[in-house]
Parts: sequence; C-alpha cells; structure tokens
Amino acid sequence: MHNQYRLGIDAGGTFTDFILADRKGDVRIFKALSTPNDPTQAIRNGLAVIEEETGLSPTEIISNADLCINGTTVGLNALITHNGAKTGLIATRGHEDSIEIRLGHKEDGYRYDPDYPPATMLVPRYLRRGVSERVLSNGTVHTPLNEDDVRDACSHFLREGVSSVAISFVWSVLRPEHELRAAEIVREMMPDVRLTVGSQLYPQVREYTRTSTAVVNAYLAPILQRYVEKVDAYFRELGARHPVRYFQSNGGLALGRVVSDQSVYAINSGPASAPQAALWLGEPWGMRDIITVDMGGTSFDITLTRDGRANVSKDIDFLRYRIGIPMIQVETLGAGGGSIGWIDSMGLMQMGPQSAGSEPGPACYGRGGEKPTTTDANLVLGYLNPEGLVGGRLPLDAAKAREAIRTHLADPLGISVEKAAYGMFTIVNNNMVNAIRRVSVERGYDPRDFVLNCAGGATAAHITALAREMGTRQILISKLASGLCAFGQILSDVKYNYMAPVAARLEGADSAARLDALFDGLESRGRSDLRDDGFTDDQISIRRSLDMRYVGQVHECTVGIDAFEVTEEALERLKAAFHARHEELYTYSEPHSAVEVVNVESAITGAVDKPGRMTLPPGRGAATARIDTRQMIFSPDGRAQATPVYDGALLGAGDNISGPAVIQEVTTTIVIEPGWTARLDPNGAYLITTDDSASAA
Amino acid sequence: MTKHKVDPITLSVVRGVLETTQREMTLTLEQTARSSVFNLAHDYSTALFNHTPEMILQGQDIPIHLGSLIPAMKSVARYFEGEIHDGDLILHNDPSYGGSHLIDTCMYMPVFHEGELVFWTVCKGHLTDIGGPVPAGYNPNATEIYAEGLRIPPLKIWDRGKPRHDVLNMILMNMRARRDQEGDFNALIGACQVGARNLTNLMKKYGKQTVLDCIDALLDMAEAHMRKLIAEVPDGTYSGTAVLEDAGHGFGDFDITATVTITGDNCHIEVSSPPQIPYFINSYEGNSHSGVYLGLMMFAQLPPPYNEGLYRCVTTDMGPMGTLCNARSPAPHMNCTTTPMETLTDAVRLAFEQAAPQKVSASWGHANGCNIAGWDKRHDEEYVTMVLASIISGAGATSSQDGWHAVGPECCFGALTSGDIEMLEHSYPIIIHRYSLMEDSGGAGKFRGGSGTCWEVEPMDGPMTLVTFGDGRRIPAMGAAGARSAMVRPKVGRLEVTRDGETQVITENVIETIQPGQRAANHNPGGGGYGNPFERAVEKVVEDVRNGLVSLEGARLDYGVVITDRETLTVDHDATARLRDA
Repeated sequence: MHNQYRLGIDAGGTFTDFILADRKGDVRIFKALSTPNDPTQAIRNGLAVIEEETGLSPTEIISNADLCINGTTVGLNALITHNGAKTGLIATRGHEDSIEIRLGHKEDGYRYDPDYPPATMLVPRYLRRGVSERVLSNGTVHTPLNEDDVRDACSHFLREGVSSVAISFVWSVLRPEHELRAAEIVREMMPDVRLTVGSQLYPQVREYTRTSTAVVNAYLAPILQRYVEKVDAYFRELGARHPVRYFQSNGGLALGRVVSDQSVYAINSGPASAPQAALWLGEPWGMRDIITVDMGGTSFDITLTRDGRANVSKDIDFLRYRIGIPMIQVETLGAGGGSIGWIDSMGLMQMGPQSAGSEPGPACYGRGGEKPTTTDANLVLGYLNPEGLVGGRLPLDAAKAREAIRTHLADPLGISVEKAAYGMFTIVNNNMVNAIRRVSVERGYDPRDFVLNCAGGATAAHITALAREMGTRQILISKLASGLCAFGQILSDVKYNYMAPVAARLEGADSAARLDALFDGLESRGRSDLRDDGFTDDQISIRRSLDMRYVGQVHECTVGIDAFEVTEEALERLKAAFHARHEELYTYSEPHSAVEVVNVESAITGAVDKPGRMTLPPGRGAATARIDTRQMIFSPDGRAQATPVYDGALLGAGDNISGPAVIQEVTTTIVIEPGWTARLDPNGAYLITTDDSASAA
Repeated sequence: MTKHKVDPITLSVVRGVLETTQREMTLTLEQTARSSVFNLAHDYSTALFNHTPEMILQGQDIPIHLGSLIPAMKSVARYFEGEIHDGDLILHNDPSYGGSHLIDTCMYMPVFHEGELVFWTVCKGHLTDIGGPVPAGYNPNATEIYAEGLRIPPLKIWDRGKPRHDVLNMILMNMRARRDQEGDFNALIGACQVGARNLTNLMKKYGKQTVLDCIDALLDMAEAHMRKLIAEVPDGTYSGTAVLEDAGHGFGDFDITATVTITGDNCHIEVSSPPQIPYFINSYEGNSHSGVYLGLMMFAQLPPPYNEGLYRCVTTDMGPMGTLCNARSPAPHMNCTTTPMETLTDAVRLAFEQAAPQKVSASWGHANGCNIAGWDKRHDEEYVTMVLASIISGAGATSSQDGWHAVGPECCFGALTSGDIEMLEHSYPIIIHRYSLMEDSGGAGKFRGGSGTCWEVEPMDGPMTLVTFGDGRRIPAMGAAGARSAMVRPKVGRLEVTRDGETQVITENVIETIQPGQRAANHNPGGGGYGNPFERAVEKVVEDVRNGLVSLEGARLDYGVVITDRETLTVDHDATARLRDA
C-alpha cells in the first residue's frame, strides 16, 4: 500500500459500493445509487457521502489513495442489452459464419421449445467479410493473404459506419502474419476504429472460441474505452497520484489502457473478487480450501478456492456468447431473496429462477408483489426481523407473506403455510447445493472438505442449512459480508494472462525444450509489463497452467503448476499431475497412454500490499447482546420454537453463540441452526462450527 | 396432488439430485471420450432406470436415442434375468435386442444397495467404428446386417467386479482405430460409475424406500402430464404420410404412414411402411420408437425432465415384422437413425398437425452427411470418423419465429455439436475449406426455415475415403401451415465433388475416394417454413437479402418481393404487390 487509503468502487446494477480502507485496518462501506448513463456521477455522489460521514474531502482521499474500480456493469449491460459498438468481422473465407453456426447446437433445456429464440448476433452476417487466405494445422501457408479482399472489407465497413473491427483467421495462432498484415491495412484505412486481433487477444487453439472472444471484445471495446477515459480523467482532476486500476474477471487488477484493449476481461468481474476476500478471511486459521456463496436479490454466485487458488474457467458460454479467456469460475444460479416459489406443470414445487426483483419485490415488502419468495419464507420461518431489514429501514409485512405462500403453494399442495415455507427454504437450499456441485464435484473436489464462506446480504439466513446439506463443518461470515466482493477487489493483485498454443506430445528432450522456451517467452513479456507498471521482481509471481489430454481425446483438462524449468525429467512430473487430475475428475486415468499439451498459459501477478486487519475489543459474554426472543421454525414439520435473537453490534471478540439463534447485523441476518455454534473472532469474522466438530477439536 | 405418500419437498429434492446425477454422467462422457463423434458432437445419451426396469430419467441428449434405450434396457435385463450381480457391467449394441444401430454402443451398470438390485445407470454413444467392411459402419452396399459391423448381444464385460479382458480384447480386435474405441469404452464406464456413486449416496441420505417412492411419484406425474396434453386433443383418428426418397437403392420412393388414434387421454400410434429392403435404411423396432417419440415430442413440446411415465398412455404398433420400420434380422440398417427415422418422425408430426393444428411447427432438414477414413501420416495410424459438421441442417420454423440456422438434423433436434474446425483438423489430416450457412436454403414461409450448412473438405496429404448417408437431397424439409417454396434446389442437400476443375453433383449414398487437391462439399438442407411466404413482412425479406440468406431471385420467387437494386436494396412496392396478389 503506497498510500494512506485504498478506495474500492464497485459499480453494481442498483448500487455502487465504496470501500475505504486505511493502513490501520479500519474498513468502511458506503453506498450510492448507480448512474448507468454517467458512471462518474455515482462516484461523485459516493465521494460526497464519504465526506459527509467522515469529513474527508474527495481531494484529500484521492490524492492519497490507491484506486481500484470495478466497472463490470458497463460492459455487461452493453452485452445484455445488445448495445455495443457497430462491429465488423474479417474472417477466413468460408468461415465467416462460425459465430452464427455456434457449433450447430441449441442449448440444453430448450430442446422442444418452439419459442426459444436464437442468440442475437453481435455482428450480423452482412458485416462479416471473408478474405482469401489460409494457414494449415501444421502452420504452413496454404493460401497467401489477398490484401485487396481486406481493403474491400474495410471499404464496406466504412460505408456501413462500423466503429470496431475484429480480425480472426483459421490457425492464426500458429502463424499470425496474415492477421497482423490485415490489421495494418485496417489501421491504414480505418484509423479511427477499435481493432481486435484474434491471435493477439486469445492465442489458443479453437477457431470458434477465438473468433467469438474477439467479436465480444470488439463489440465492447469502444464502450469500455469511453468509460475508462472518463474515469481516469476524473481522478486525475482530483489529484490522483497513481493510475486507477480496474478489476477483471480473471480475479486481478489491470491498468485502464489494458482494460480498454482487452475489454472482454472486464465482463463478469463482479463476483470474481470473492475468492481473494475468502482467502484473506481464512488466512488467520490457515484455511485455503473455501467455497464462497453470495446470495443477492435475484441470483446466487458460487466461487471456489482450492489450496489457496481460485477455480478458473476457460472456453465457456457467457450470456450465450462463447468466451475463451481464463475467468474466475463463477457458477450463477437464479436463486435469491426475490426468487419466486411456484408449482410446475408436473405438480412439483420449484423455486426460481423467476424473481420478484426489487420492484415489486417479495410479497412482504408490501409494494404490490403477490408471489411468494425466498424472503417471504424466511420471514414466516421467523428468521427475519418483522420490524424490518437494514436496521428497520425496510419494514416487512408477515401477513402478506403468509397469504402469498398459502395461495400459491400451501393450499395447492395441501400442506400448512409453515410446512410450505420450510419446503421453500429446503428447495432453494438444495438448488444451491446442486449448483455448488458444479464448482466442486464437477471439478473433482469433495465439498465436505471445504469451508463455506458467506458473502452478500441474503446468504447468512441460509448458511448453516447449506452447510448441513453439503456436509460442510466450518463456516466463515465476515461482518463485511454484504460488501465482501468490493472488499475483495481492494485486496486483489495486478494480474495478466499470457497464452500460447503448443500441440506437443509430452515425450523427449525436444518437446521439453519447446515448452520451456515457450513459458520463458510468455513470462519475460509478463515481467516486463509489470515492471513498466512499477512492480519489482520480488513482487512478481507466476502460475502456469497447461491444457493436457490423452492423445485422441478432444477436451483437455487444465493442470496448474508452479514455474520450474521444463526438462525431459520434469515431463514425468507434468504427466503424473495430469493422470492424477484426470482420475480426480473422471474416476479413472490411463497411465500408459500418451499425453499431449494443446495450450499453455502463464498468469503473472504483481503483488499489492494489503490493508491492515480489524481488531474488535473482547466481548462481555453473548448474554449481554441478547435483545429478543422469536418463534422460529427449524424442521420440516413446521413446528416453531422460541429462539434467542442477538445484536451483532453488541458482541465482542471471543463471544460464543449456540444455535438455535439468530444474530442480526445491520446489513445481514445470520441464522444459526440447532447443532451449530458461532464464535466472533477479533478480526471481525464469525467462525461457525458444528457441535460434533467442535468437540472433536 | 400426488397419489403417493411422499413429502412434496423431498420429491423436489430427489428430482434435483437425479438431474444432477445425469448431468455429471454426461459431463464425464463429453470430457473424456476419444472419438470426435462423442466428445465434439455429443452423439451420446445417458439415462437412469429403476430395477423394473423403467426409465426414471433421460438426459436432454439426443432424440435419436430417446426411445430406443427403453426397449434395449428391458431386453438386456430379460436376457440376464436371475444372473445380475453387483459388479457386473454389460455391453450391447445389437438391434435385435432393442438397439438402434450397431455403431451406437450401450453400457449398462446395475446398482445394488444392501444386496438388492435397485437401479441401472446406462449410457449409449456413437463410436467411430464397429468393424465390418466399410470404415465407420455406414456401408451403402450392405444387403445384410453382417456386412455392417460386429453384432454384440448383451454381454458381460465385468463379472462381479472382475473385468473380462479376453472378451473386451476380442471386441476391440474387430474395430478400426482401436485406441479411440478403447478410450470411448472407458468414458462410457466412467459415466456409469459416476451415476452409480451418486445414486448410492442418494439412498444413503434419504433411505432406499423414500427414494423409490419419490421416483414412483415422478413417473406418475409425468404420466399425468402427458395424459393431460393428449386429452386436450379431440378424440379421433389422424393420419400423416411422408415420402421417403430413393437415395440410391433403386427401389423408388416409399410412403411411410403414421396413424394416431386419440381416445380420451390415451394415444395409439400405428406405423405402416413397405416391406424391408436389402439396403441400409431398415429400422428395427427399438429405433422406430425413437422416431415415433420425437414426432410426439414435437407436439408435446415438453420441458425437461423426461422419464418413461410420459409414454405410459402411448401405445405403438410399428407394423408387421419384416417391414421397413419393424425390420427383422438380417436386414441391413446402419442408416436407420437418420433414414428412415426422420421420415417416420415427419409422418407422426403430420398426423399431429391435423390433431392439434395450433401446436404445429415445420419439419427440420434431414441428415445428409458423410463419414471419412484414411491414413494419418503424421502419426502413422488409421483414422476414421463420422463428420457431424457434415449433417448440420436448418431447423423448421414455428408459429412464433423463424427456424434456427444450423441446429439440425431433425433426428438430433439441436442436441449435437459439430466440433471446432481447428480441433477436427488437429485430429484428422484434412483441410476444411468451408463451414458456412447457405443462401436460399431455408424453406420459404411467413416464418422462414433455418439455413442449412455447407461443409467442404480436402484431404491433406493422402487419399481419403468418403462415405455418404442420409436423404433430403430431392425432397426439401416439409413446411407447415401453408408454407411452400418455389426454389427447391438450394433447399435440398447434395454432395459436390470437384476434381481438376470439374464438379460432379451426387445425390445418392456413395463411397468416393478423394485425393489431395480435390474437394468434396457436402450441402445440408434447410428447415421447413411456416405459413404463407407472401405474408412475410417485406422488411424481413430485405433483411434476409442484406444478410445473404435469401438471393434477389429467391426474394422474388419464394416471397414475391421485388428488389430493384442490389446495393441499396430498394424494393419495387408496386411490382411486389402485383406478385403477391396474383
């Protein structure tokens, strides 16, 4: 931390969160309404709020702060609303349609649905131009680039008013010359457009993925560029002494010019900081295997760290567009406080993915919502304070919640309102557990080996139930849980990914030498980029990953390793790591089969100093924080029991609370089921354990 | 709501676990299989059965496999009745035992709990080869099933946990590209194991009886759902006839007729087809189930999950043994999952078009594809595969929207993926010169059919054998609700082979040798249109022309829209009105 403060700004859909941390470990959260049409307006408003509450003027803070910004919604909204730049694509002739053919597949779940529409094309067919050129799978040139074709495409784009261009050729990753020459021509003829070159943005094998990634990038780049220029200028005006850093979906920060060139890295960055925050929280206990769950109003985001590293996804469909670049794996489920309970055509109760959102919101908000939601169930179960959420600023109407549950669920199923409410709670929890399997079991991990970490305002009411369903024995909940992602961003390091294709079997000294040279090349580029950004060698670290498979397989499994010299002997280590990973994932390995590498990647990280930790004064016993008793339901039969309620603000370090109990924090409500005990740590996090694990320890 | 005494909440939870189990099985297959047909193309299915055995969950995988796994599982269980033990694993492909075609190989794993058989986990996948005289199995010259590949009746490859290496070795000895086939067997086994592990955990958590009660309830609910849909159709008998084109056998075109009889909430589907022929388009009963069920699902339009309860109110009669849709051994059959299955589906769809006209959508393009084989000099080994990218046709339009481009063929209904072209070129020594949509290929209609695709290939450094299969090269995909196309030729499939500047157009199933420097371009049909094309909004036609999906000539002939300037796309509204009113 170079400066007195670190300021994190997370522009979400509704609110922009501000996290202000200082060297001593004081961390505060502020909120302002988001202003999608003029993002700097929300920043201005937020700084005004901070000044009001702390007396620190914007200039005082900004001239003395590290700045971390998450502008995720700028790109995300453009992609959701199809409001990106008018984009043209230059492709190898005969392959202009790959982004519309989409591998010939219709998404699962809609097989017989006559109304499910095809994905909207970011580049319509008339703006996709084929040029004569071809490189083969062995890297040789089959057909040289016809430069006139490129010029014709540019003339066409100029006539059509295109403002961003993507170039993506078949096998350009093996021989980028054609793409690079085409890029020169585009720059000559169209000096004002943004340009994305497939082999530069995402140098990995797979034409459809690469082209699609380039197209998404080109579609968003002008939007991100405008945003970054505006934000950078605004902070320069306020006297910022260091460049603003932007948060990316790879879980790291980047400079503004990087984000506007590689805008595809910015699109799903919102939840990508959760792993960083989780590791920070778990550090005092030495926890490195953590699943973080974040439940908001409409969705539930899951991330996972194993042995201190976050799961990374490559080559995924995001909002129906294929994106290759490595992103922190975020599994999103339509399950939030506003998720609606309903009975499907088969007669089964379901929760979500439809959501009542914030308008009209759950029935208990009394704003006209009539459908029963997760929040209504939690209120009927007694978990939520009927006097209201957010310290009473949002009153809740229990009668309306009961009515909605009765009409839409309890009566049709012939069960009591209480049973139906517990059923809603159970089903939404099981949906979440099934989704958690996608980041754990499907990645070869047993979720029972992980600590469950809580983020977002609505999660804590479900957290012990989730842990019980999963068989998890330890839970972490920070007092900052509702703003955990924004907090994760100010803890994050600068991180860039460098990639190359290989296509080599893991045999012999030659292949070892090739791999070694490849990694060396990628990493020296990475080091030099980070040095330019002011990092010293001791702050720079490297993590490699190799996409490997048995010869003949088509899907790779990604194996992560630390940096070491790749010699012929070291190949055995790589192979052993691959066999083990394959068995972990798919129940078997084939130790005698040949192994090949398809793609390699190095993630280069420049470590940033971390802010200090919170220190809470010791508590005076939980009894002093007990403020109420409410009837709550903890079993499927719907029977209620008198349950103590605690005020989190009155608890101190070392205080223990045994379930059943509820702890009310200002921005979240923690439900502790029978059989669990919470203990507040001096660093401001609750550690909740099952009673049998506590006795075992 | 439900007859069973199961807690409705537990029911929802169990259903979620079953779906997750199936998903994880599918993922294992996709990620680990060797052959591109499996892992790039998703030509596989996974399913869970109870001990009866009744299908309790079918994945959202490929409709070709929709029906045939049901009779196949029953047939396998019957064959080994009284001899099924914990640790057994059964392999099977033969259509006389309910299989679809020999190249679709099934793996069945019994799941025991406390010494009792409770479930089966099952997967099925299209291998790249199954032995026989022609690589990849599709032999247009076969007059008997024996000339199409190795017939595997139900066969234990594990016996009480002990793998029978000798048996497996004998099977693999009979197949080309052994490494790929062995890898695919491993993938199938891995998927079965993943399924078995999850089901065992489910029973440990909730108790066997609770789980079984929930499953019974789920089957009953699916039954009730389908009965409700059937009951909405007026009682009566409806029939549809579709024409199966002569794709090279010389016996002429055939009619396939489906007669649907609705009585209350029951549905009987009767199929009538000509006698079987000595050509590879005969369909055994199991495969015909898939064709019939797909036609039924095009009417029912149900969201997942799918189980056998859906079909309890549906009875079928595939016609007398020895006919094209109820073939008897030794009828050759390899092409059956596409031809005649798609025509059979069309016939059922047509019958439902009369029964429930409000729910009709157009037919999809049929599969018209190729298999390739040759020697890979890069690794000094043989290669052989079905090219899924060569069968991607257009989807039919519906009453609400244009057909999707490039998600067919009909028998797969969007479940396939064609694979990345760089991965195909990496796996096989070929150059793919074109993989694109095609102008004027979508059937004309108020809602246009989706575009078909063209896949053009050249072998890199040695001769390549190319075997074609399928149909849809003369008869375009059927439209619905009054759709019709004036320009037929661009809407049907064909193979174009170019040698020394001469292009030969082939519309029959053939075996061709293609040399380096020569090219084979396989064109796949578009989907059928919906409604009168003259009612299509002029702006939409202009947009299609701008995007190269409809030509100027197509706009005039198919849609009655006269565009006078190719650059500005100016419409002559008077001429258009005259054409459309005529």
